[in-house]
Amino acid sequence: MTIRKATWATAVGATLALVLGACGGDEPEETTNDGPIVVGISLPLTGDFSEPGKGVQRGYEAWAKITNDNGGLLGRQVELKILDDQSNADRVVADYEQLIGSDQVDIVVGPFSTRLVVPAARVAQEYGMLFVEPAGAAKEVFEQGFKNLFYAAPAVANDHYNHLAEYLLALPAGQKPTSVAYAAMDDPFAQGTAYGLKEKLEAGGVKTVVDEVYPPNTTDFSSIAAKIATSKADMLVGGSQYQDGVNLIVALQQLNYQPKLAAFSTAPTSPEFAAAIGNKTEGILSPTGYTQQAPYPSNKEFVEKYTAQFGSPPEEDEANAYTTGQVVAAAITAAGCAEQGDCQKKLIDWVRANKVETVVGPLSWDETGKPQGAHMIQQWVGGEIQIVLPADAKETDLVYPKPAW
Amino acid sequence: MPSGALLFQSVILGLLLGGLYALLAAGLTLYFGIMRVVMIAHSAFLILAAYLAWWSHTELGIDPLLSMLVTVPLFFGCGVLLQRLLLARLRPVTLTMMSVLLTFAIAVVIEGLLGYVFSGTQRRIQLGYGSASLELFGARIAVVKLIAFGLAGVALAALYLVMKKTTFGWALRATIQHRDAAKLVGIDTDRVAGFGFGLGLATAAIGGTALSLDTTIYPSLHWHWIGPLMAIIVVGGLGSVPGAAAAAMVLGLAQSLLQIELGTTWAQTVFYLALFLTLAVRPQGFFGGRLAQRF
Repeated sequence: MTIRKATWATAVGATLALVLGACGGDEPEETTNDGPIVVGISLPLTGDFSEPGKGVQRGYEAWAKITNDNGGLLGRQVELKILDDQSNADRVVADYEQLIGSDQVDIVVGPFSTRLVVPAARVAQEYGMLFVEPAGAAKEVFEQGFKNLFYAAPAVANDHYNHLAEYLLALPAGQKPTSVAYAAMDDPFAQGTAYGLKEKLEAGGVKTVVDEVYPPNTTDFSSIAAKIATSKADMLVGGSQYQDGVNLIVALQQLNYQPKLAAFSTAPTSPEFAAAIGNKTEGILSPTGYTQQAPYPSNKEFVEKYTAQFGSPPEEDEANAYTTGQVVAAAITAAGCAEQGDCQKKLIDWVRANKVETVVGPLSWDETGKPQGAHMIQQWVGGEIQIVLPADAKETDLVYPKPAW
Repeated sequence: MPSGALLFQSVILGLLLGGLYALLAAGLTLYFGIMRVVMIAHSAFLILAAYLAWWSHTELGIDPLLSMLVTVPLFFGCGVLLQRLLLARLRPVTLTMMSVLLTFAIAVVIEGLLGYVFSGTQRRIQLGYGSASLELFGARIAVVKLIAFGLAGVALAALYLVMKKTTFGWALRATIQHRDAAKLVGIDTDRVAGFGFGLGLATAAIGGTALSLDTTIYPSLHWHWIGPLMAIIVVGGLGSVPGAAAAAMVLGLAQSLLQIELGTTWAQTVFYLALFLTLAVRPQGFFGGRLAQRF
């Protein structure tokens, strides 16, 4: 009996505490209109993803600082509340519950790594919160029926090469490549980029002559290279991360295979790439979501102020987080509010219906929250990697066919 | 049907790959021959040697081949110590099984230390001649692969000469054939076993250097190698160096040719299929002697 009494007492006590807590929470909310706008985020600051996680954190911090230096949003300062999910998918749900439920943040934005985005977005959806995220590029993210999610980057993996596909298919018949060899790592992102281009080129009548998939951590590419080299394909597309792309290129150089065009995802944009393949980079293409050279107006300010704040220029992780901030800021400014409740619906509707100017270019979304753009295409021209597509962002003209490597 | 050019190119690549397998498997089969030790850490030492070659190239700027001046004697010493201080203490009755556990632990320690010191990032030596190649009847032979093959060939030939022509080699072979009889004729089998183990590990130093010339290395790469190598020495006949070399060439060639039709992922299964077939049909291996039956 005593146990039951104790249980009752605890329950009543807890309820009282909750009621009081809720009242206590209400009071500052009345005054939020001149207090700071609190933005809640959960990030992997320790554990496996701590490296990119910290990059995303710097991007958000740069956004908050630059926004506040420019007078804040709706006349209010922006304040970040960042929790560490320790790279653990189980914690991310608890973190967002805490941010929205007990910390009563005004806005939430996404965590890092695709697999954390889906559970986090589900929590945000339950509370009816707008959820803009910097890192959920996988197809599954957009198949969950989220009504509140927006991916703040130019394109999902399958659309990375859209500008290149358009360019190639528009070439006159004599110049258009007729055969293509594809080699992709068995990885949703890397494969997605190569297969996105494959689909479009095949639909445009360009023949696929080699289609190889290799496991991550493959170190010997000589057999794949032999297949590609003997196929004499006009064009080579590598769905690569970094080292696999380098290994494949070296193996192809050893076999003296000279395609008219070679495109690799990720690898060519890495700072070590040129040295790794013996500086024979001329003409190699790569899609990129972000470059410091991108001519979009807000990017100049971002690169300058970010560099001043952190001492080195921003990379893609930082830029994606910053872009997320820009999208949220645009929505808040347009809707004229930033708090939980009805305001969130206004924010969501606004993002859904509008185009936002960001450091990665103008962004707009379809009904699943998938961005409608494509990545810029960069090419190694004159010893440095430069934007060649789309036409309105290019630094130099695309070189085709590419010089020998 | 693949074209003739592709077949020819794949045969060449397969032979080059087989040569490297042969050298690496030679050391592994030697340990088993001498001591009935299954040396899981062999490929971990291989990767260690590759890392040392990479490190001396990037940090000290010397050609990776020169790193062997240090790594080969160093590994020989390690092998002797390893045998004398650790493996010799295992009880003869359970030696084979316990050696698996012991060398497994050593492999994990090496992997962990490599990860700690060099991080998990994939590394590759950037050589001036890394992408150079020679032409042979329309096929291409990469210079680095040729050097690796040459290293393997020279090391195997040296190993063969040591085994056949020197007193130490006779003592080693006697120890492999019958330890007790060898003792009776006055061979200090413990000493010979120690040196034999050192010799095995020295092949890992040469193999690792050859490996580092043309592939990427990372700390856990040795798990990728130990399976095929184990399969090779069983197919070749446990304890037989020529058997291991022959099996390595055949399987390397088979892997390279199967990659044309099956792709990279499935071609690797050739080693395990060969292992199953050997154990089912001819457990003593196709080239080797009587040792496997006692295994």
